[in-house]
Parts: sequence; structure tokens; C-alpha cells
Amino acid sequence: MSLFTVGRMCVKIAGRDAGRKAVVVEEYENGFVLIDGATRRKKVNMKHLEPLDQILEIKTKASHDEVRKVFEKLGLKVWDSKAKKVSLRPKKQKVKKERPAKEEKKKQGKKEEKAEEAQERESVEIVEEKKEN
Amino acid sequence: MPAGKHKSGHYRKIFVRTPGGRVTVHYRERKPQRAICSTCLKPLLGVPRERPAQMRNMPKTAKRPERPYGGVLCSACMRSFLREKARREGQ
Repeated sequence: MSLFTVGRMCVKIAGRDAGRKAVVVEEYENGFVLIDGATRRKKVNMKHLEPLDQILEIKTKASHDEVRKVFEKLGLKVWDSKAKKVSLRPKKQKVKKERPAKEEKKKQGKKEEKAEEAQERESVEIVEEKKEN
Repeated sequence: MPAGKHKSGHYRKIFVRTPGGRVTVHYRERKPQRAICSTCLKPLLGVPRERPAQMRNMPKTAKRPERPYGGVLCSACMRSFLREKARREGQ
């Protein structure tokens, strides 16, 4: 008979969940048990557990929610696997720079030049007319 | 002649064969000592032996084992410590 019967409180000693409390939920052969509680629900070797003197009233193969109810009565936390939040990568948006069209400028320049030329001509004509008078 | 700083032992030597066939001496900074368990003084596994600049560029998970007291205690010492702690709470 091992100490790790269903309902036995224990502390995980090895690995990532070390130092967290758990309950034995199911017994397997060859010294393995299924634990649940503040650790991940996992099949572990009994060598990786340290028994506590508490024994909880739990059915064999109790679900995670049933374990949660018993743990919350004792004021203990339960491991909750967080669903991964897949956030979309912010895509880099190209900022389009508004470039002033070159052709228009040229046209404007030409127009201005033409206008200047026309003014000059007019002024010349006026001067000539004055001379004639 | 090597410079004074290269004679102090602060740097380690590396012999490099150049493309011309000559063997020259290059100097590199020495690596820090191995990380050891704080109770049993055994070298810790899973803790890289790199200069602080390289360590800073590494992710946290590459620098120590992912367990309580990872990178401080070896796994055996951590287990015995947690076992004692659990037994003390039971009393």
C-alpha cells in the first residue's frame, strides 16, 4: 500500500510545478498517479511527490471542476491553463508621401514665363506707341 | 612585444593561423566561472557560461532551468529543500 491513494494531498517536488499543492485523482500501476490542483493535471511518478497528512473527499477520476470546488473551499488556488491569445502582428503600413507633380510645376513655370514675356511685349508696344504719338 | 594589458593574464590567448601561413596570437577576454549550487557547490546544469554582454542578449529561459530556485540550487538540493518545507508545514 502506498500513501498516494485517491484524495491524498501532496506537494510536487520536481520540475516546473515544484512547490505546488495537488490532490491524487487516480492511481496507475508501476508507481504512477494522476494529480490535479495547483499544478497542471498530470500523470506523475510518486517519487516526485511528497505526501501531506490531509486527505480530501474526492471521487476517482474527478474532473478539474470538481477538484476546483474542493480546493476553493480550502482557500487554495487551482491551476488554470490560459488559452493562448493569438494577437495579429501589427502590419507596417507604408506612408505614401504626396509628391507634388513635377510636370504641373513646369507648366506653371512656362505659363508664368509666357505671361512675363507678354507683359514685356505689351510694355514695349506701349513705349513704341508713345514714341509714334 | 605584447602590450602590457596582454601580459597580465586577464586575457586568454588564441593561436590563429593566418592565410599567409603565419601563426599569430589573438587575445580574448576570459569566460566567468561556472555557476554552482549554493548548498552543495556542484556545477549547475543548464546555466550557460558566457560573458555578461552575451547573457544579456539571451532569453530568460535559456539562462536557467524552468523550475523554482532554477539557476540557484541544483535539482537534488531543491527537492530536499521542498520536502523539508512540506514536512515542517504538516507539523
